[in-house]
Amino acid sequence: MRSDASFPLKAAAFAGLAFLHLPILLIFLYAFTTEDRSFAFPPPGLTLKWFAVAWNRPDIWPPLLLSLKVATLSTAMALILGTLVSAAMSRTRFFGRDQLSLLIILPLALPGVITGISLRSAFATLDIPYSTLTIILGHATFCIVIVYNNAVARFRRLSGGILEASADLGANSFQTFRHILLPNLASALLAGGMLAFALSFDEVIVTTFTAGQQATLPIWMLEELVRPRQRPVTNVVAMVVFLATFFPILAAYYLTRGGGETAGGGK
Amino acid sequence: MIPAVEFQSVSRHFGATRAVDAVDLTIAEGAFFAMLGPSGSGKTTCLRLISGFEQPTSGTIRIFGADVSNTAPHLRHVNTVFQDYALFPHMTVRDNVAYGLMVKGMGRAQRYAKAEEMLALVHLDSYGNRKPAQLSGGQRQRVALARALVNEPRVLLLDEPLGALDLKLREAMQDELKSLQRRLGITFVFVTHDQSEALSMADSLAVFNDGRIAQIGTPAEIYAHPKTRFVADFVGSSNLLPPALTQSLGGPARWSSLRPEALHPSGTGPITGTVTALRYLGSGNRVTLTTQGQTIAALLPATDAPEIGSTLTLTFAPTALHVMDEA
Repeated sequence: MRSDASFPLKAAAFAGLAFLHLPILLIFLYAFTTEDRSFAFPPPGLTLKWFAVAWNRPDIWPPLLLSLKVATLSTAMALILGTLVSAAMSRTRFFGRDQLSLLIILPLALPGVITGISLRSAFATLDIPYSTLTIILGHATFCIVIVYNNAVARFRRLSGGILEASADLGANSFQTFRHILLPNLASALLAGGMLAFALSFDEVIVTTFTAGQQATLPIWMLEELVRPRQRPVTNVVAMVVFLATFFPILAAYYLTRGGGETAGGGK
Repeated sequence: MIPAVEFQSVSRHFGATRAVDAVDLTIAEGAFFAMLGPSGSGKTTCLRLISGFEQPTSGTIRIFGADVSNTAPHLRHVNTVFQDYALFPHMTVRDNVAYGLMVKGMGRAQRYAKAEEMLALVHLDSYGNRKPAQLSGGQRQRVALARALVNEPRVLLLDEPLGALDLKLREAMQDELKSLQRRLGITFVFVTHDQSEALSMADSLAVFNDGRIAQIGTPAEIYAHPKTRFVADFVGSSNLLPPALTQSLGGPARWSSLRPEALHPSGTGPITGTVTALRYLGSGNRVTLTTQGQTIAALLPATDAPEIGSTLTLTFAPTALHVMDEA
């Protein structure tokens, strides 16, 4: 069925899209500008030299690698813990289950400032020095929720009978996990993992509170904006970050399409 | 002979609910046994106690003599055809059927050969490469059957096996299940809430009510001699007559049951009442009449169509009045 939206509705939709995406296009545009002090519009000329400059700047690499490391490890942690929690929550029914599930989702809904400051004081109380580990733990708080949301939706759709059927046919729990549960969860976990990775990769607020002296890529970018030197380099990096997070999110969307279960894409 | 399945005062309580309450049950080897009852009567819990998905709160369950009360499901020689079939959606039909053999470590060529054999048995020879989603309800049912039978269980459990099928298919599957059971000689235990299904398929059945077995016997025994009002009412349709009415019809002062098909029009007959409703059934007329404040249904030939409001006199053979144990 083709739906015919009225003209004002279409116009409003386009205006909304423009509002959301024009700033991103501006970032792309200024990655190619020849002018490096202020962002004059239109750019006086276009060049590719900032890509080379960015490539050769040594101070970009450590934050980039740190961001990749943090995103990878917090996603891995989230995949394990999030799947376990969702398996437990979808298998049993008990008093207070709904309240508990709200508590699990809360870290995603909570403002990052609150998560950040509470983690910071917790680390301080426990005498844990701020390091890569504390950043990973901080990111894991919301990554777990994303994996949980995706996995729990899949569990709900999965007929509980197939796990019983597997046991009935003689499979032990490991065989049931390996041959029945994992293949049916795989795409949901992949989608959840990619979303979690993307969110961790560009996280600023929680990172600010839990990082020591290190800077992740987004934090490095924030610092660059304050010191205006070779400004378009920041835009080049922004573009790379955009693409690095856009494709996982797009893939996650396609992997879970039809289930309406790409939950929690909005930290 | 050692019975296939034996329950010794088995109970399964969920909190304060007694889903199964002190049930004693013996199912002979090679039987086609039905567990019949309304929803919540404990029949499905009993089936799950046999398959091992529930553990008894108290009592002993034996399968071919071995105490399996606390044995895990995958260690019992029992397989189940689930109500919603529970086929593995990500596997082909062939892999579904071969699954039980795979987890036991049988090689691919051998298990596929056996799977094909089973698919042929349920007339799905050429469907091995399909996914469950590409099959109709009746075909899925057959896959579920083949998948359970490939393990050569000593007892096959069927949970409402025909519930999801339409009427025509259900009747065809009834005959097929029956002949399959006769050929294989495996003990079949099936759960149903459909009394006509239980009567026509089982050679022995248990009627469940409130977590207990109300009566156990052959379909003919249960239909002709229901022990309680519940059984008389649930199995087939029946006129339940209170003690006073039973007495006025020449019986003792106890509850009795009178099947509608046992009533015939007659000039004299003990039952005289006013016709209040008439339903044409094709094969006959179902007439409802009121006598002594009691409603009685009778199944009359299609040619007999009394007017509503008219007076009708009915008689029955003395043996048709079945007096129950219940006072």
